[in-house]
Amino acid sequence: MIEQLLSRPEIQSAAVPFIVAFVAYFGLRKVTERAWIWALLAAFLAAAGLINGLTVTPLTGTRKIILLVIASFFVAALLPWVLAHQNLQRRISTIISQLALLWVFWAVVSRMQSSAMVLFLAGSISLVLVLEDLFDRVADNPAKLHSAGLSLLLGVGLSATAAASALLGQLALALAAGSGGAFLAWMFTGNTTVNQTKQSITTLPYVMAPALLGVAAVIFAHLPWYALIPLASIPLVVNLVPLNTDSRFVHALLASLPGLVIAVAVAFYVWQAGSSGAGY
Amino acid sequence: MKKLIIVAALAALPLQAVVAADYSIDPSHTYVSFAINHVGFSTMRGKFDRQSGSMQLDPGAKKASVMIEIDAASIDTGHARRDAHLQSPDFLNAVENPTITFKSTAVTWNGSVLATVTGDLTILGVSKPVTRTVTSMKCGPHQFSKKDTCGFDATGSIKRSDYGVNYGLPTIGEVLDLQIEIEASKG
Repeated sequence: MIEQLLSRPEIQSAAVPFIVAFVAYFGLRKVTERAWIWALLAAFLAAAGLINGLTVTPLTGTRKIILLVIASFFVAALLPWVLAHQNLQRRISTIISQLALLWVFWAVVSRMQSSAMVLFLAGSISLVLVLEDLFDRVADNPAKLHSAGLSLLLGVGLSATAAASALLGQLALALAAGSGGAFLAWMFTGNTTVNQTKQSITTLPYVMAPALLGVAAVIFAHLPWYALIPLASIPLVVNLVPLNTDSRFVHALLASLPGLVIAVAVAFYVWQAGSSGAGY
Repeated sequence: MKKLIIVAALAALPLQAVVAADYSIDPSHTYVSFAINHVGFSTMRGKFDRQSGSMQLDPGAKKASVMIEIDAASIDTGHARRDAHLQSPDFLNAVENPTITFKSTAVTWNGSVLATVTGDLTILGVSKPVTRTVTSMKCGPHQFSKKDTCGFDATGSIKRSDYGVNYGLPTIGEVLDLQIEIEASKG
């Protein structure tokens, strides 16, 4: 009965990560200021375990992404302790993201013709750099940070599923649900500002997870590459929303709306474009 | 005398090759197809549209070997959206693992025809030994091309989870009936 329940996609990639992140954030919020990172990691571990199992062999691109996303949480949570210098953090974040892209996709990219290879590398590297910059701008505002992260991951998840891969879609949706869980917990308990200097490396999971899953959906699952452009603009749009109130719920609502609209619209377009889909 | 021996040995080489004859698989008459249970309601069937390979046969010495390479992206179930899903990382991960291969390691004979073909089937980079039962076989000159031709049908089942193809388990069937029908000609 339980096994059957846990094999359902909506339980694996929505209910479980949402609840785990919500509970973990509540439990950790007074222990560490980076409670959301640990909460999201716990949610992703639970979801990835249910979706993929606890196996890493054969080491496919998808499993490499799972490992890298897990690693990105540890880097985001721990590196600011040992490296206080902002610019150095940013450079390390960039290097890690680019190496991650190469590790996941090199086996495929190396078989491409040189023009396709250049386009792929230019596009994927630009995507990561743009996301890093945009998330850097919202890093000190929890409402905007989590709204952008949630909406972007939701958009990638829905679009990947609408394209052809429920597996890639589920992983992104699980992260979106976890983000939603931690976000809701923050609404009940958190502050509207963060009392710390902006530490861009803490946003690494929000950069790396959607970038890797989005590019994987393009390469492995027929997602049109141009669908990533409006999705990548989500943190930019979220950052433009004026938040002139003290209410955390209003902050969350206002900051989330534009990103969610873009996410759903892109996924709807991908489905309508008939680029092929898992739901048949 | 030495020269004569060398010339004689060289002349004998093609003869040996004829005995252990090399056949090229005819892609237009070779089919790899499958059937799998769909959510307990029906049987879903599909095939691969592109494959290549080779075969060596020596019925006299009861020897044979087969190698077949299947283009994973050529999966065809008659439904484009489903085919795209089957090519994705959920199932065959065709971009990362473009080929499915079968390489025989042993055969058994029933008189002058093959009875079983055992070999390594590689899907998603995972190789597992499988045995196919040969249900029919014929060798002889082809009526149209006049080439020496051999063909056989082989069938058997595999568990997709053995190869890490776990998506949709246990709802979508785990056991896959895999049918291989090969026609191959010399030269």
